[in-house]
Amino acid sequence: MTRLLGKRLLVVTGKGGVGKSTVSAALALELARSGRRTLLCEVNGGGRAAALLGHPPAGPELGHLEGELWSVDVRPAEAMREYVLQKIRFERVYRAVFENPLVRSFLRFIPSLPETVMLGKIVWHLRQREGGRPVWDAVVMDAPATGHALSFLGVPEVLLQTLPPGTMAEEVTWMHQHLVDPDITGAAVVSLPEELPIVETLELGTGLRALHLALDAVVLNQATRPRFVPGDLAALAGAPRLRALAASHVEEAGRTQSAADRLSSLDVPVIELPRLYQAGMDRAGVEILGRALLSGLAGGT
Amino acid sequence: MNPLDVALRTRGVVVCVGPGGVGKTTLAAALALQGGALGRRSLVCTIDPARRLASALGLSELGNVARPIPEASLRGAGIRLPAPVEAMMLDMKQSWDELIARTASEEQRERILANRFYQSLSTALAGSQEYIALEKLWELHSARPGDLVVLDTPPTAHALDFLDAPARILEFLETDAARWLLTPALRGAQVGLRLFGLGGNLIGRTLSRIVGMQTLSDLSAFLLAMSGLNASFRERASSVRALLASETTTFVLVTSPAPERRDEAVRFHAALRAQGLDVAAVVVNQVHPSLAPEDVASCRRLPEPLRTKMELTLQEAQALAAADESGVESMAQAVSPTPLLTVPRFPEQVHDLGALWRAGAHLVAAAPGGV
Repeated sequence: MTRLLGKRLLVVTGKGGVGKSTVSAALALELARSGRRTLLCEVNGGGRAAALLGHPPAGPELGHLEGELWSVDVRPAEAMREYVLQKIRFERVYRAVFENPLVRSFLRFIPSLPETVMLGKIVWHLRQREGGRPVWDAVVMDAPATGHALSFLGVPEVLLQTLPPGTMAEEVTWMHQHLVDPDITGAAVVSLPEELPIVETLELGTGLRALHLALDAVVLNQATRPRFVPGDLAALAGAPRLRALAASHVEEAGRTQSAADRLSSLDVPVIELPRLYQAGMDRAGVEILGRALLSGLAGGT
Repeated sequence: MNPLDVALRTRGVVVCVGPGGVGKTTLAAALALQGGALGRRSLVCTIDPARRLASALGLSELGNVARPIPEASLRGAGIRLPAPVEAMMLDMKQSWDELIARTASEEQRERILANRFYQSLSTALAGSQEYIALEKLWELHSARPGDLVVLDTPPTAHALDFLDAPARILEFLETDAARWLLTPALRGAQVGLRLFGLGGNLIGRTLSRIVGMQTLSDLSAFLLAMSGLNASFRERASSVRALLASETTTFVLVTSPAPERRDEAVRFHAALRAQGLDVAAVVVNQVHPSLAPEDVASCRRLPEPLRTKMELTLQEAQALAAADESGVESMAQAVSPTPLLTVPRFPEQVHDLGALWRAGAHLVAAAPGGV
C-alpha cells in the first residue's frame, strides 16, 4: 500500500518514452472514477494524455473530459499571462508590456521564469477553493522527463536561495511549501525493464528526495511475468525458432525481475504494469493499465 | 546499392537525427565503425551515450575530446579496421565555454562566463544543445578534411528545433531589443533601467515587479558582455548552415516502429526535405521480426501445458510483428523516395562492440524497403 492515492498532487515522471503520459492518464482516470474531482495537468506536453483517453488533446484552457475528470495542458505563454494578470490585474498593462516583442525576447532568457509560472499555475489549482472546499480533490501532473523534471520541480528550491525578497519570492515560498509537504504531494517515477530507464529512475528517485519531495512509488511499465519453466526450453530443442522465441520471453521476464530488484533499492513499492501486445496506446490499453495500477497502489497483486 | 554504404563512402558528414529512445546513438557509433571498415578515417561524436556503450567505445567521463576506440576492445570483438575510428562525447557546457573562449576578448570572456544568464544559455535554453552540437560539427569537420564525421544529435521531437537552432540563437543576439540595448550611447550604468524605456517607464516598472530589478540588470549586463560576438556568431552559424546543405553532408533519420515515434519521424523527414537537406535513408530500428507459418504448425505438435504457453507467446510476437510491419509500410510510403531500411530488434541490447558491429554490418548490407 502506498500513500500516493491519498495525495492531492500526484507527480508522475520518468525518462522520456517510458509511458509517463499513459500512467498519468490511467491514474487520473482511476481517481476520477473513485469519485474524486481530478485535474490531469500536462506540462507543455501537447495534450497527449487526454488524447490517450480518447478525448481531443487538451489545450491551455481547462477542459472537461468525463465524469469527475478535467484536463489542461499548462503552457508557458498562457501560464505567464494568467500569472501576470493575477499580479497586475490590468489586461491593458499586460498587453503593453508582455506583448511587446522586445520584452518577449528578453523574457525567454530569464532562467526558470517559464518553469516558475507553469509550476505556479499547477500548485495554484491545489489552492483553488469554491464554497468553502477545494475545487480539486486531486491534481495529476504529467511532469517533464528526468533532467527536465528535476530542474522543473527544483525551481522553487533554487529560487528560494537566489531571489531577493518580493512578490516572486512570496509566490515561490508557498509553491515550495506545497511541494515538500508529504501529506499534499507525492511522486511516482515510471520506468522500463531496460538498462537506461532503470539507471535514470534510480537517479531521479534520489534527485526527487534531494528536493524533499515524497517519492511514493515506482511504476515498472511493460513488465513481463515469467511464463516458461527451465524444462520448457529443453523440450523445445527440436523447434529452434520456437525455442528462440521462448528464450527471449524467459530473458524478458528475467529483465523484469532484475529491474524490480534494482528499483526496490529506492525503498518504495515497485508496481508492475503488464506489457501490452498492441501497436501504440489507446483507451482500452489505458484502462487495462489503470486497473493494474490501482490494484498495485492499493496493495493488491 | 545500399544508400548508407554509398553515404559512408562518399560523404564527409553524416548527421543522425530523430526522436529520443530509438537507438540513435548506437546506430551513429555503428555507422562510424562501418566507415572505418570501408577504409575511411572516421569519428563518431555522441551525445549522452549509455554508460556501457561509452565504455565499449573507450570514452571516459571526461569527454569533449576525440579518442581512438581502444585497439584492445576492437581485437576483443574480433574487429579489424583498415582505418582508425575515433569516438567522443559532446560536453555541452564545455563546448559553449570553448566557443566563448575562442570568440571573446579576455575581459569579455570573464564577464560572460560569470553571468548567470550565460549559465542558462549554455545549459537550459531551448535550442542551445542543438546549436552547440552543430557548431561542434563544423569544428570537427574543418579539422578533418576528407574524414568521415558521424554526428549523433540531442533527442528532438521537432525537427525545426534542431534546424532552427543557429537561427534562434542568432535571433536572440540580434533582436531589435538587443540591438537597441547594445547601441554604444546606451551603455551606461543605468542601462538596466533604461532598457525598457521605449514603452515609457511602464514596461520597466511592470517587469521589475514581476521578475525583479536584479534580474533585469543581470540580463542587460549579459547582453552587453555578449556584444561584439554577434558578427562571429553570425558568420559561424551561416557556415554551419552551408555545411549542412552542401554535398558533403547527408542526414540519416533514425526512428522506431512505435506509432508516435513514427509520426514524429515523418514530420522530421518532411522538415528536412523542405529545407533542401539531403536524407540518405530513414532507418527504422528495433523492428519485431515476423514469424514463419511453420512456427504455428510446430507449436501444435507440442505437449500441454507447453503448447498453450507457446501459442500465447507466438500470438504476442505475431501481434507486435504485424503492427510493426504495417507501420513500416505506411512509413515507407510517407518518406518516399527516400530509401527506408529496417534493423531487427536484437534480443540482446546493443552495448558491446561486437553487437555494434553486427548492427552496422546489417545496415550497410540491407536492401531498402523490406522488413
